[in-house]
Amino acid sequence: MLSDILYVLIRLLVLPGFTFLLACALLFQWIDRRTIARLQARVGPPWYQPLADLVKLLTKESILPAEADLPICTALPLVSLAAVLTAAVYVPVGGHTTYSFEGDLIVVLFLLSLPALFYFLAGWVSVGVYSVVGGSRSLLQYFSYEVPFLMALSAPAILTGSWSISRIVGQQATATWTVFVQPLGFLLALVGLIGKLKRVPFDIPKAKSEVVGGPLTEFSGRKLALWHLTVDIQTVVGVFLLVNMFLGGSDLGPLSSLPLAGLMDALGFGLKALVMLLTLSVTSVLYARLRIDQLADLGWRVLAPLGMLQLAVTMLIGAV
Amino acid sequence: MDTQAILDALNDACPDHTFDAQAIPIDETVIEVPVICLKRVVACLGSGFSISHLSTITGQDTGTELELLYHFWSKGGLTLRVVLPYDDARIDSLTAVIPGADFYERELAEMLGVRLEGHPRSGLTEAEGFEHFLLPEDWRPGRPPLRKKQPPKENES
Amino acid sequence: MTRVTIPIGPQHPLLKEPLSFMLTAEGERVVDSVLRLGYVHRGIERLAEERSWVQNVHLLERVCGICSHIHTTTYCQGVEALLELEVPPRAQMIRTLMCELERIHSHLLWLGVLAENVGFTTIFMYSWRDREMVLDIMEDLSGGRIAHAVNIIGGVRIDPDAEQLDSIRRGLDKLQQQVDTLLDVVQHERSLRVRTQHVGRTTKELVRRHCVVGPVARAVGIDEDIRRDAPYAAYDRLSFKVITESGGDVWATALVRVRETSESLSLCHQILDQLDPGDVATRAGRRVPAGEVVSRAEAPRGEVIYYIRSAGTDKPARLKIRTPTLPALSLLGEQLRDIKLADVPVVLSGVDLCIACADR
Repeated sequence: MLSDILYVLIRLLVLPGFTFLLACALLFQWIDRRTIARLQARVGPPWYQPLADLVKLLTKESILPAEADLPICTALPLVSLAAVLTAAVYVPVGGHTTYSFEGDLIVVLFLLSLPALFYFLAGWVSVGVYSVVGGSRSLLQYFSYEVPFLMALSAPAILTGSWSISRIVGQQATATWTVFVQPLGFLLALVGLIGKLKRVPFDIPKAKSEVVGGPLTEFSGRKLALWHLTVDIQTVVGVFLLVNMFLGGSDLGPLSSLPLAGLMDALGFGLKALVMLLTLSVTSVLYARLRIDQLADLGWRVLAPLGMLQLAVTMLIGAV
Repeated sequence: MDTQAILDALNDACPDHTFDAQAIPIDETVIEVPVICLKRVVACLGSGFSISHLSTITGQDTGTELELLYHFWSKGGLTLRVVLPYDDARIDSLTAVIPGADFYERELAEMLGVRLEGHPRSGLTEAEGFEHFLLPEDWRPGRPPLRKKQPPKENES
Repeated sequence: MTRVTIPIGPQHPLLKEPLSFMLTAEGERVVDSVLRLGYVHRGIERLAEERSWVQNVHLLERVCGICSHIHTTTYCQGVEALLELEVPPRAQMIRTLMCELERIHSHLLWLGVLAENVGFTTIFMYSWRDREMVLDIMEDLSGGRIAHAVNIIGGVRIDPDAEQLDSIRRGLDKLQQQVDTLLDVVQHERSLRVRTQHVGRTTKELVRRHCVVGPVARAVGIDEDIRRDAPYAAYDRLSFKVITESGGDVWATALVRVRETSESLSLCHQILDQLDPGDVATRAGRRVPAGEVVSRAEAPRGEVIYYIRSAGTDKPARLKIRTPTLPALSLLGEQLRDIKLADVPVVLSGVDLCIACADR
């Protein structure tokens, strides 16, 4: 009984729970920053920089405007962090899932989209001019990327006939990786993820030269640190989710039958996650920031129709 | 730039004054213009001669009077010299003809206390005739910094 | 729709120097703007009347933090005209060399700022890295990266030897490759074009009305350049093209500036080839005969004009400086009307503001 509880606690708090996610988040942030720096002819930060940044920000004084709603401003980063951490519980890592049930994909997608809403609210309740403008931008952006993202991630589920991430992963191990069947869907999901994480070229809500810090302009100290952590963990969960949905999870094709299966699983999954992360880093070096109307155009005129096409094709194949 | 042609045209435009050109280094032609003729002269220059732009307006306090120098450029320098009386320094604004004169004129107003008649932003505050543009908000009115004769300092309490 | 007032400045990540634009916006659309200057007003014009002619060279070097050399050049050639001094040809050449190096420096810096303002950090990093090469060359020549203190009344302070000239040549060759790459990027990079094309569009008429000069004017096809139209320093002995474009948008100004950088590089090579040995300065008297002078030069941002009046003493009686940013600011008032909020940084970068210059 006690060992059961201990086991669950370890899964939640250590592996693949909070500690593991935190480590991943910091590692991913470092790899990301370092890669971007190298591509931009800079040196980039040392490996402990993300941790140092986090610790430093956590110890700083937290100041808010007098008109801001303090309880809500305190709650928002906490709730967003909780949402992405909860989402992480349902995303398999290297073939292991903490919890899994039919329909967990929908829960994950819902939980991953919550921070965007809280981000908007953060801008609204912290009353600064830049915060409000940034907040309304983030909401507009949300509508542009979320629909194609959802459609792209629904396609593999429909193909498999299951809304459980573990089943979709399992299916890919027996058949082939989704990315080969639905390359378009994979691309859409990637673009959607960039929008979700507000990375270049979709860093519109926090465009420094236009709205200073966007919705988070008025945040500082601990609250800001939690916001940053939310985004970092969101990156990890997003990357893991895409690896599971499109790249076959920890499946390494013929190599999977090698001995030391556990190690190979971890290696395969890690490698794919790294590739995904590097793709994200490289993309953010290549573009200028879009304007919000250009993004809405892209979202509704290009991405959404393509997402629908992907869905229609998948459904047709399923019906045949 | 044909100086003689400009002078002829100006003499036609303002028959009650005889214009004369003077050359100063570096290749600058200076024409003295009475205050009342300024607008007409600028209009005449703008229509008949390919004046490219108004480079700036220099305002200076010579000790006895205020002197405004309108530096134009048209493949050569052309400067109009306008002399204003010290106590009643007012001049027509050129912003209607040359919108770019706006900032130059506001600088004149703040730095030398020249009143600009017909300037769109003139009269927004009573003290200086303008809202502050270059000077600090708490600059005491009636003390244009580039005037040589400043009113005696009041005792600051 | 409700109107919000969005302050841009005096402190804002968009601006590297303090200036304040109060934007009135309806949602994402900017309706109007009010400008306030003076945050870096140092009263240099008044200060110059208190300093001797020689001290003023160093004071005026500090009008601007980017184009410091062009200010001393304009001032020195004005004072030299009053003194009726003959400046040795070698000094003229070195002055011109510094002017052109400074133009390269300024344009590369500008490209970086534009890129950063549209969120394209990579180009920002690259062009500022390349800018370091020019700064190194200038440091090698004068000992200063930004404030060079090269000009003195009557000539220049530095006399580079053959070895230095060779190392400059090598540096320039390396830079030429980088500038070619940057030009290619500006011409062909799609997301940069999407953000800058048709943005901040001006017309010939508007530019004329607001008396705007320099690259912004040349980007609407106004073929004007003081270097060619009224050659100063050694420009009458050099050959170069005046770059013009017809678009009038921010992209066109970017093209003008990058091409001008290329042209400046070629000018530098010409100067290095034509640099004959000789004196670098003539002696100048302490007092300057009474008289007035209007001195003009082409700064990286356009025409700089100095009016200097001497009363025959060891100090100027009046010194007036007009930098090209001031008319550009006047045009901005027109440009910042009925545009998208996201275009504001692009439009602001397009005119290449130097606020210290505008405030003086």
